[in-house]
Amino acid sequence: MDNRSRREAPEAVDTHGYYKAEIEVTHGFGLHARPSVIFTRLAKSFPCSVEIEVNDSHVWLNGKSIVKIMGAKIRRGSMLKIRARGLRAAEAIHALKALVERDFDEAKKHGRSA
Amino acid sequence: MAEALEIAGTAASPGVGLGPVHRATDVTAEVLALPDTVAAERDKLRQAVATALAELQALADRSDEESAGILGFQIEMLLDPALAEMAEDRIVAGDGAALAWIGALDEYIAGIKEAPDEQLRARAVDIVDIRNRVMSALTGRPLDGFAPGSVFVGKDLEPSRFLAHDWTAGGGIVLFEGSVSSHVAMLARGRCVPMVVATGQFEVADGARVLIDANNGRVVVAPDDSHVRQAKPARAEATPIAARRAGGVVETADGVAIRLSAIINDPAELKAVDPASFAGIGLMRTEFLVASPADAVDEQRHYDIYRQALEWAGDAPAIVRMLDLGGEKTLPGMGDRKSESFLGLRGIRLLLARPALARAQVRALLRAAVHGDLGVLLPMVTVPDELDAMRTYFEEERADLFRHGVETRMPEIGMMVEVPAAALMLERFSHSAFFSFGTNDLAQYLMAAARDDQSVAALYDAATSAVLRVIAQGVGHAEAMKKPIGICGEMASDPRHIPALMAAGLRHFSVAPNRVTDIRSTIGGFYSDGRAAAEMK
Repeated sequence: MDNRSRREAPEAVDTHGYYKAEIEVTHGFGLHARPSVIFTRLAKSFPCSVEIEVNDSHVWLNGKSIVKIMGAKIRRGSMLKIRARGLRAAEAIHALKALVERDFDEAKKHGRSA
Repeated sequence: MAEALEIAGTAASPGVGLGPVHRATDVTAEVLALPDTVAAERDKLRQAVATALAELQALADRSDEESAGILGFQIEMLLDPALAEMAEDRIVAGDGAALAWIGALDEYIAGIKEAPDEQLRARAVDIVDIRNRVMSALTGRPLDGFAPGSVFVGKDLEPSRFLAHDWTAGGGIVLFEGSVSSHVAMLARGRCVPMVVATGQFEVADGARVLIDANNGRVVVAPDDSHVRQAKPARAEATPIAARRAGGVVETADGVAIRLSAIINDPAELKAVDPASFAGIGLMRTEFLVASPADAVDEQRHYDIYRQALEWAGDAPAIVRMLDLGGEKTLPGMGDRKSESFLGLRGIRLLLARPALARAQVRALLRAAVHGDLGVLLPMVTVPDELDAMRTYFEEERADLFRHGVETRMPEIGMMVEVPAAALMLERFSHSAFFSFGTNDLAQYLMAAARDDQSVAALYDAATSAVLRVIAQGVGHAEAMKKPIGICGEMASDPRHIPALMAAGLRHFSVAPNRVTDIRSTIGGFYSDGRAAAEMK
């Protein structure tokens, strides 16, 4: 796996009440099918809103929508901003950021989760 | 003879295959119905998405972990309302559901195909798969199946079609475009299905013989013997049918053999039931296997299930009943209760009224029959003509499959005896290979009382003696014709009725697997004429 240092900002709350994080996608294949499934499933497990922005595009996509995430064609090396607002937003940001950092747990074999 | 044509490509899964070409047709938005109201079109689309989801889920449930993971991606995509919403924008703009769906999905797929990463581009075909499956549910047009042993040739192949296909008969995949990192390439490697991609477009006739030599990344159209010799023969051997001893024969106290077969309501039960306890399958229902009209005409799905049943039964017979819809069993748009009642268009009447439904099942049965001792039961036969009409379907479809080089076998075709008119005149049904009493319906028809209607349930319960008399008469006719006769109604799974059924002359019982222990011990305690053995001592 890749050992390059990651550019990232600590989780922070901005003036609009969003918890945010910024992280580089280091996973070998970018956000293709399985990582997108894992990412959106995790995002959907939180009651807050989750949005992502890719490479400072200024377009915020619904982070719970696999259709939108696949459509964003996120590749390795992309800078991903994640923001969440609402109940358990800080927790959601922490968990999603950790998932991207762990390369979507792709190293171990995935079965279907429930 | 045509000159052999060699085409170079990229090997995506090693191996060698030889077979007739299945030339895939590309799905286009053809003949689409004029749009109804926006609300109606939106409902149609949502229902089609729900149908597609249910089909994919069912396919995932019977797939291995890796395949299920791939289907899991498609399931997540369909669960995401964003997909339907893209199409709904077009419905609001005036498109019908099917056109809106195709338009929205094609635009989305085109976007994915422009992705900078090969890995991401390779997912486009997964979304094509979703597009086609929903289209199939919307239009009622079945997904394009192809014969086992064929070499699939086309632009790309969708994962769920790969998974729905029987690859044990060999064959392979040649894609004009495609990708070594596509899901279908991963699946092909997992199943040792030879696959060559990126050959570029080439012309080949449907049914032409083609050699796929994925070890060397080449395809030969109309190969000669030297081509075939060069490539190593690597046709996957079909899994041998496990030779199993057919159990399930019990003796009465006076030494008369009674055969016990299993009633199977769902293929999932096959895994849980020990074949050694039964003389095969006496009744496999099929209406519960089809959750939607699209499932009902999905020939490959039927075939897979029948084949599983035959493999479970080993060398014992497996009797599959054709779709018994109507009456209390309905599918959306098929045999709906309001128009087609308990006494209306149901069972074989419905099958003959909907030939597409019947013929898809007939083809699957003909193909599956190769794998064991298959019997086919026709539901609710009332007059001999119905039996003959269905037999004609079998003969016509068999001839068609033969023309396409598909191996088939004619199964034994028997009938349910559940309409009193047929039961009383059984000697007229000499074309039936065997008979099986369906006592649940027979009792309802004899008493003119529906068993799910509480206000007349007592009448239904009182049907026993009338049913027994009809059975005794039917057994007499069958014996005179030297035809096997048995029972697959619920009566046969109830130990209280066993002595009377034996007294009526029955020697073959199909029983619910969880009742078989009780039934077996009951039979051993009685003489074949129904007298209790203990009382005689």
